Amino acid sequence: MTVLDARGVTMRFGGLTAVKGVDLSVAEGEIVGLIGPNGAGKTTFFNCLTGLYTPTAGEVRYRGSRLPARPHEVTRAGVARTFQNIRLFPNMTVLENVLVGRHVRMREGLFSAIGRSPRYRRAEREAREAARELLDFAGIGGQASSLARNLSYGDQRRLEIARAMASGPGLLLLDEPTAGMNARETRQARDLVLAIRGRGVAVVVIEHDMRFIFGVCDRVAVLTQGEKLVEGAPAEVRADERVIAAYLGTPAGDGPGGAARGEGD
Amino acid sequence: MTLTELLQLTTGGVVLGAMYGLIAVGYTMVYGIVQLINFAHGEIFMLGAFGALFVYAWVPALHEISLWLALPIMLAAGTVISVVAAVAAERFAYRPLRGAPRLAPLITAIGLAIVLQQLIFLYAPLRELRDDRWETTVGAKQPQLFPQLPGEALQLGGVTVQWADVLTLGFAVVAMLGLAYFVRRTRTGRAMQAAAQDPDIARLMGIDVDKIIVIAFAIGGALAAAAGLAHGLRYGQITFDMGFIAGLKAFTAAVLGGIGNVYGAMLGGIVLGVVESLAAGGLSYVDAVQQFGGGAWKDVWAFVVLILVLLIRPRGLLGERTGDRA
Amino acid sequence: MSGAGARRAIVPAPAAGRGTVARALVTAGAAVSAGSTFLPWTWTASFPGDLTVAGYPGGNQVITLVVALVMLAYCGAAYGLPGLRALAPRGATPALRALALALAVSTGYVLAAIAITLGGLVNWVPGSWVAAVAVLLTLLAALALPDDRRDAPPPAPGPRWRETLVVFAVLLGGLVLADYGLATEHTEQFIGYVLALGFAVRGLGVSGLPAVISALIARNRVATSVAALCAGLAFAVIQTSGAYTSLAANVLIFGAVALGLNIVVGLSGLLDLGYVAFLGVGAYAGALVSGSTFSRFTGTPLPFWAAVLIGIAVAVLAGVVIGAPTLRVRGDYLAIVTLGFGEIFRIVVNNLDGVSGPQLTNGPNGIPNIPDLVIFGYDFGEEHTVLGVTFGRFTNYYLLLVLVIAVMVFVFARVGDSRIGRAWVAIREDEVAAQAMGVNTFRLKLLAFALGAAMAGLAGTVQAHVTTTVTPDQYQFLSTAPPNSAFLLAAVVLGGMGTITGPLLGGALLFVIPEKLEFFEDKQLLLFGLTLILMMRLRPEGIVPNRRRQLEFHEEEIAGREGRAVAGVGA
Repeated sequence: MTVLDARGVTMRFGGLTAVKGVDLSVAEGEIVGLIGPNGAGKTTFFNCLTGLYTPTAGEVRYRGSRLPARPHEVTRAGVARTFQNIRLFPNMTVLENVLVGRHVRMREGLFSAIGRSPRYRRAEREAREAARELLDFAGIGGQASSLARNLSYGDQRRLEIARAMASGPGLLLLDEPTAGMNARETRQARDLVLAIRGRGVAVVVIEHDMRFIFGVCDRVAVLTQGEKLVEGAPAEVRADERVIAAYLGTPAGDGPGGAARGEGD
Repeated sequence: MTLTELLQLTTGGVVLGAMYGLIAVGYTMVYGIVQLINFAHGEIFMLGAFGALFVYAWVPALHEISLWLALPIMLAAGTVISVVAAVAAERFAYRPLRGAPRLAPLITAIGLAIVLQQLIFLYAPLRELRDDRWETTVGAKQPQLFPQLPGEALQLGGVTVQWADVLTLGFAVVAMLGLAYFVRRTRTGRAMQAAAQDPDIARLMGIDVDKIIVIAFAIGGALAAAAGLAHGLRYGQITFDMGFIAGLKAFTAAVLGGIGNVYGAMLGGIVLGVVESLAAGGLSYVDAVQQFGGGAWKDVWAFVVLILVLLIRPRGLLGERTGDRA
Repeated sequence: MSGAGARRAIVPAPAAGRGTVARALVTAGAAVSAGSTFLPWTWTASFPGDLTVAGYPGGNQVITLVVALVMLAYCGAAYGLPGLRALAPRGATPALRALALALAVSTGYVLAAIAITLGGLVNWVPGSWVAAVAVLLTLLAALALPDDRRDAPPPAPGPRWRETLVVFAVLLGGLVLADYGLATEHTEQFIGYVLALGFAVRGLGVSGLPAVISALIARNRVATSVAALCAGLAFAVIQTSGAYTSLAANVLIFGAVALGLNIVVGLSGLLDLGYVAFLGVGAYAGALVSGSTFSRFTGTPLPFWAAVLIGIAVAVLAGVVIGAPTLRVRGDYLAIVTLGFGEIFRIVVNNLDGVSGPQLTNGPNGIPNIPDLVIFGYDFGEEHTVLGVTFGRFTNYYLLLVLVIAVMVFVFARVGDSRIGRAWVAIREDEVAAQAMGVNTFRLKLLAFALGAAMAGLAGTVQAHVTTTVTPDQYQFLSTAPPNSAFLLAAVVLGGMGTITGPLLGGALLFVIPEKLEFFEDKQLLLFGLTLILMMRLRPEGIVPNRRRQLEFHEEEIAGREGRAVAGVGA
């Protein structure tokens, strides 16, 4: 079954068209990579999917129904995301960050917070248990009570993923999850992404690290100048001359494998 | 209401609005670059008026000549005190807080507004003409009389225009022309626009953003001083707390025009002034709402305009010009 | 100041046995200082507080005595006496130095005041000289103490009954201190009190005691709440003077409103500059249905619960009307819209007088003659004697206000630590990220705004009865007397954003200090403005820092000792 079906997504800012008629569909349990040079419109495309921007044209469907317009409704519907430039709640604890992620899966309002009925207490306890479980899942269970801002860079990325997972998504959008990570952390991130798929969550991931992309993705789409250039299995994309050209800016001279130069970016 | 009365109200509104616009430019420029509501800017306007009054009171030679000839000196004095205060505020109160949590500079601005008001209230060195003798007093605890321009008011087709009104409009026109030239034609002006778009990128491009910010504060201070002088001449008296409501109105004008947009600030000021004037004057002609006309309610109508703008057109009449740092 | 951070003794002394000598000298000095308070300090009773009596301390001598006694306790801690050691988990020397300074400054201040106001040192009597030499000696000896700062492991929890007892003792001690400050009878006494308290609190802070206490409080929330409530109620018993209970009632109203504002500013990060208008809305609503002969709606007053509901409802309505258009747009606009709203409220109320507008509020004259509350037949205007204790009019209202604040604290604490409260803090931290996590930021901001307005409305309905008259001028952005919006904001910011004790403490200080220091006169506002500016530069997290907040403001400084101060200071 199709989890995400984006058709003809276009985003214009004044005279500039940042995303032009991009189609992308993601099937259940799939990991899709989104690559492209800087400024190709990848993050803008994410913002269109999650309601931060309202696309100028096009339609985005999630499990068959149109995604709502505003970011918090998108999250409620089941699409969660992380940010390229980590956006945690720096002065909340790690656990509290994940609990905010649970926000849409809880109903307790003002009056039940004041009244604290047994039902409220149960919901709160369950939320905490779920949050701790996710922290363990992301490998930062030992730091539940530190402030988010005091985490290492890699752990902050992991926390952002745990927080997004707390909203119980069916589709997770990761914006450069390994940026700034060392080789070991990148391998851990890869395992984490695979484990997320293991939980039945489909993933779309923007990344510049080609080894990462070709290692985890079932399918890869390439965006250049706001348009989708190629889409296909990693091996096909890797071999595609247009992709190599797009990355190097010149006609491919050194044949397949040249795309690996995009690495380490 | 006759057409003449309508014209009279509108003219009054335009003049009032030009004054709001002159103050609003300072809010909008500073906000455009540093995203700070400089609450003390109303006080900068007040200081400009007092600066002009100080030089008039303490330089006897100015009493001998026509007030028209004394005006440039008064304007210069007001401008100096306003600009110095604005730049000093930026340098010593706001700059150290750049990068601090959002509330810190706002609260500092409030503190600064109170301090500036109280300094004038307690320590302003004043001289007043009482029974033909100049007497020195310290502290502006009462409203201070401001010298008045000589000459009969102009009559333009039944509409009375005071010379002070003409002067206010003149200030506004000169200021807007000057600003247009500055923003479009000068290097600093273009750098300022770049800094408003994105200060970090501007810095990377070699623009001295700190300098640009100081210049924005200085220009805002100078225009506020002109507005202060105009206010004194129009109303004949100035008070230590006149910056509060004027600042509030001017900020409304800046939002109305589109924050960060200097032309918008002037347009917003004029729209606000006209609405206020027509509401105050016009409503008293309508029986059902006659009580809501009159000066007492005009601030209320200005506020209603602000709320309506935020509801209907939150980015202002001419659109915002500020970096998106949401 | 001990905060100079010197790791060694400040006054050099022979190394061998230096510690022993200095410690003995400090102890002796403190003891003599304590003793000197039983001697007269001057010959004439014309110096305020009557310091001429031998045999028991009077006036400012009480302050010296108390500080000296606390010092002796810390000397005990320095000697490692069991039981007293717990007073200084991170070392007794810093505490002793600061306390010695507190002793010297507060005592020196009175002695100097005696010499200056009475005209020269001839007005000192032997007792004054004893005190002067003793405090000076104590200070010098304290500076010569070797540094004994150490890292303190978080203390192990003791048995529950003991912890509960300690919590009660701490809060009742706080009550006695607060009551003493509130009831100081002359300026000299109040200044001496403030000086002593300021330095002493600093000293105890360095000794690590507050961390222990806040950990204790965090462990014993229920006991703390009960103890705080008891302390609040006990004040009504120990303080019977009408003037001081009236002051206390007003402080509580101010504190209650500041607490409400703290939801808006401290938790959600929304700057509300017209908050006092919501107090005004509540007060006018309460006054209109109070049965006052000057209200448009005369006749039988509505029962109190109904008046409260109306006050809250009208305030919430105003909050929603103001908030709904504003909270959708840039956060900064809220500041200016609320500032405008505060001003407009006053102008509207001023003009609804039947002349320049419809008659509703009597314009500038306000609504006087608001009758006293009667709840379940208990007339708040009458004196009541219960078990031999007489409750005057202001004490009645004081007690009601303690209950009101208790309810507010309850609501604040519970909501603050819930899905809603977390979402508020998330919005304050990063609005876009909060949205992306599914938080409906507009609705939650509006909820914070409405809850804040409700709290102010509730306080307002009570306030109308306490002050018996409501006038437009009570509700301004800035005026010399609290409550006004600027002072409320200052109470929250100076006290500590996002905390419960912060705004209550900040509110009390802002109310009491101008009341006690009349010589500020017209310079009060100037000093207020300077305080705001300086606090933002020097201690932006306020007097009672929220642990989160403190980290936000002093990142680098804190980073080093983060490991130690894990105790939750959110109380």
